[in-house]
Amino acid sequence: MKADGTIVARKLCKSFGSHQVLREIDLTVSAGEISCIIGPSGSGKSTLLRCVNGLETVDRGVLRVNGEDFGYVEKDNAYHAVRPQRLTEQRARIGMVFQQFNLFPNMTAESNVMSGPVLVKKTDRRTARERAQELLAQVGLSGCGHKYPAQLSGGQQQRVAIARALAMDPSIMLFDEPTSALDPELVGEVLGVMRDLAHNGMTMLLVTHEMGFARDVADEVLFMDDGIAVERGDAREVLANPKEKRTQEFLERVL
Amino acid sequence: MSTTTTTSPTGSRPLPGLLPEHKKRITPKRPHDYLCWAAAIAVVAGLVYTTVTNENYQWPVVFSYFTTRSILDGLLLTLVLTVVSMGLGTLLGLLLAIMRMSHQPPISGLAGLYITFFRGTPVLVQLIFWFNIAALYPNVSLGIPFTDISTPVDVNALMTPLTAAIVGLTLNEAAYMAEIIRGGFASVSRGQYEAADSLGMSGFTRLRHVIIPQTMPAIIPATGNQVIGMLKGTSLVSVLGVAELLNSAQSIYARTYQTIPLLIVASLWYLIMTLALSVPQSMIERRFSRSTRRQAAVATATKESLL
Repeated sequence: MKADGTIVARKLCKSFGSHQVLREIDLTVSAGEISCIIGPSGSGKSTLLRCVNGLETVDRGVLRVNGEDFGYVEKDNAYHAVRPQRLTEQRARIGMVFQQFNLFPNMTAESNVMSGPVLVKKTDRRTARERAQELLAQVGLSGCGHKYPAQLSGGQQQRVAIARALAMDPSIMLFDEPTSALDPELVGEVLGVMRDLAHNGMTMLLVTHEMGFARDVADEVLFMDDGIAVERGDAREVLANPKEKRTQEFLERVL
Repeated sequence: MSTTTTTSPTGSRPLPGLLPEHKKRITPKRPHDYLCWAAAIAVVAGLVYTTVTNENYQWPVVFSYFTTRSILDGLLLTLVLTVVSMGLGTLLGLLLAIMRMSHQPPISGLAGLYITFFRGTPVLVQLIFWFNIAALYPNVSLGIPFTDISTPVDVNALMTPLTAAIVGLTLNEAAYMAEIIRGGFASVSRGQYEAADSLGMSGFTRLRHVIIPQTMPAIIPATGNQVIGMLKGTSLVSVLGVAELLNSAQSIYARTYQTIPLLIVASLWYLIMTLALSVPQSMIERRFSRSTRRQAAVATATKESLL
């Protein structure tokens, strides 16, 4: 089972009905690289991210995740959808963090973190619990394991969500606007956890409006507008000296 | 003059003790407050007076029949009918709800058709219909297709009043339960499915451990209401001659002509049972009322859920 932590997309296309959301997107994320997708709302950033773990299906183009075609196998002149079981295997190696946290409200923080290993990987409970406690400590939440999501602040919930994704030992982490639903004073704690992850060599692809974080941590930035990859390159370079006019306009508005 | 003595706002009379900031605020009772009480008391008093003085109520008869053998047997059958029809109806309702949510249009359409039909026609009519189903299908043959193994079934003998009652109540209840269960599933946000998917959960694991526990706060209180409704609804099967509570009362007053006292006996028993059910019902409702006590509800909904 390969899991080399890479993402490669070539001429990726996706439409919702007649509305084309992704127009021939190219994207390469090497192992251990941090890549940020930025752009105005409705530009297709989240859709691109969601394609990478199969929450949306791709219409056309190449999508290789962890060194293999994702969700489909190439046979003859077409891509054939894989069986659901195979798809869940591929997904289990990709961690996803959502804007709205999406913690399971019926489980404690610890059970949330344990849910993947226990229910999917069939890890025995004791091992999973020890690992969950480690991960909760890693995101600065030791002692909060017994609490339900409703008893945690937004920032704490999002950190539990990160721990839950990490519990599956993913080779890639996807973040879909992880701090957009948080009160301003809680953003820092979540970014801190993400920063630690980045330093530990995790491959990360994130959609974000945190330009400061992108500048400090990201290796590469992809600017999207209206489903098109307008500009792609070294993070500090693109943010400091954008070449494209649309990128310049966008950055002027958000910075 | 002491320092704690203040004068009233009008300045007419000094009041000892209380500073203005410590004074109670009083809303005086107005005439219509008393009027409401008077009207309500008058109505209740009138009702009590007539029930006590009107001989036609025949209270002694009510008491003498209250715990008669046949009434108690009828009561038991009412409870059995409620439990059986509710149980089977819930199971079938779950199946229908799952079909209704299917992505296959023919499957969800079929369930939709069922729900529309059974909710759109009166239960009473349905019950009589099932009792007379033999007129439509006198003989049904149960067997394995493409083999010689089959058993002919005489529908007329099979469809006893009790079978017709259970079939009718179950099929009707299933349609309502299907909608309640579907509503429960609709209350779970899309993000929960996505989070489960992103962890690589299979469809069944996702349903069993993530989705179903979250549907309970919406489903359980509504189901409690259905149980109470079903308990009263069983009285309809008296028309088929099933000896449940109402029918037992009817067969006594058919002999004795003490119609009113026996209807009172039946009503009192229905009232006792619905009250008995409404206590746990309101407790459950308070537990699961999501807006006010979300955390407690979620916590209890899931004590047994996962880990």
